[in-house]
Amino acid sequence: MKFLTTNFLKCSVKACDTSNDNFPLKYDGAKCSLQQDDSIDFNPEFLLSILDRVDWDAILAVAADLGNESLPRVKPVLVPGQELSEDDQAILRDLHTLLIQTSIVEGQMQCRNCEHIYYIKNGIPNLLLPPHLA
Amino acid sequence: MLPTPYVRCDYDTVYEPSEDSFLLLDALEEERASLGATFQDKLSIVCELGPGSGIITTFMMQNGIPTKDKSIYLAADISPWALEATRDTAKHNSCNGTYLEPLQSDLASCLKGREVDLLVFNPPYVPAEHVPEAPRMGEDHRMWLDLALLGGEDGMAVTKRLLDQLDNILSKKGVAYILFCARNRPEEVAQRMRHNGKWKVDLIMHRKAGWEVLSVYRFCRDNAI
Repeated sequence: MKFLTTNFLKCSVKACDTSNDNFPLKYDGAKCSLQQDDSIDFNPEFLLSILDRVDWDAILAVAADLGNESLPRVKPVLVPGQELSEDDQAILRDLHTLLIQTSIVEGQMQCRNCEHIYYIKNGIPNLLLPPHLA
Repeated sequence: MLPTPYVRCDYDTVYEPSEDSFLLLDALEEERASLGATFQDKLSIVCELGPGSGIITTFMMQNGIPTKDKSIYLAADISPWALEATRDTAKHNSCNGTYLEPLQSDLASCLKGREVDLLVFNPPYVPAEHVPEAPRMGEDHRMWLDLALLGGEDGMAVTKRLLDQLDNILSKKGVAYILFCARNRPEEVAQRMRHNGKWKVDLIMHRKAGWEVLSVYRFCRDNAI
């Protein structure tokens, strides 16, 4: 599961929808094994559109869960359509490496509200609930 | 006409692409230009529910629906076999360079609210006494196939559940394409959705397939267009 996908996943438990703690899920850094996958080419336009849309605080939270504290605290502001400086390009390349190339192959994550644990196996997260929670 | 993806799966566990899948492909092809115009310049989140073999998601990836290089594709299925198949089908059709994420999920219940720009759903629409439960570990794998087919009362149990959540799934400009068979009484469903005031519902395409009449409807917020 690619890092960026964590920006769209919440707890599946319906009752948690009224809580602010169901997103992002809390990733267990010690139990997550990461892999770099370079099958998607770097495309600055794609990264710009992603940057425009993502919830940056959630990116920071998951990055910290996985041991990466090096991201800027505030979402970088880059204007699409304008010539990108070398610094901008470098930012986008770093984000490409983190958001798109970094995958969690095996691991687990937890809802910060109900504390239900979800697992990632063979790169695929399982967000199904056991019958008593569904 | 856009080419149909190459698909080879184990059809004992995964739904084999059929007339319903092809009707959705044709509907998406017809809608391609307008979807491209609606979603140009921005990132689009595409979500297919119940991708099965992955033929539809792969078709969208191959043909840049809604946008080339600016879409990410989420494929959510309850069946682990379908998720494997979806990943394989994308690979067989050289879609490795496109963002695809298979998610094991009950409909879109794991997705953060109002993020999906393009939703596609070929549901289990065959009328049946009830919607089967997912087989447990060790049970016959072929039971997964029933889940892809049987839709409970009027074949609408699963689709109805999805429609009830639609407001919470689609983004502001979000569009959903959903397949129905005549026994689902889609015109009544469409009327109900229109009447609750929020939705614009249009029949995009229909076709006689054997003894079934299949149709694809488009749902979007009434104020989105």
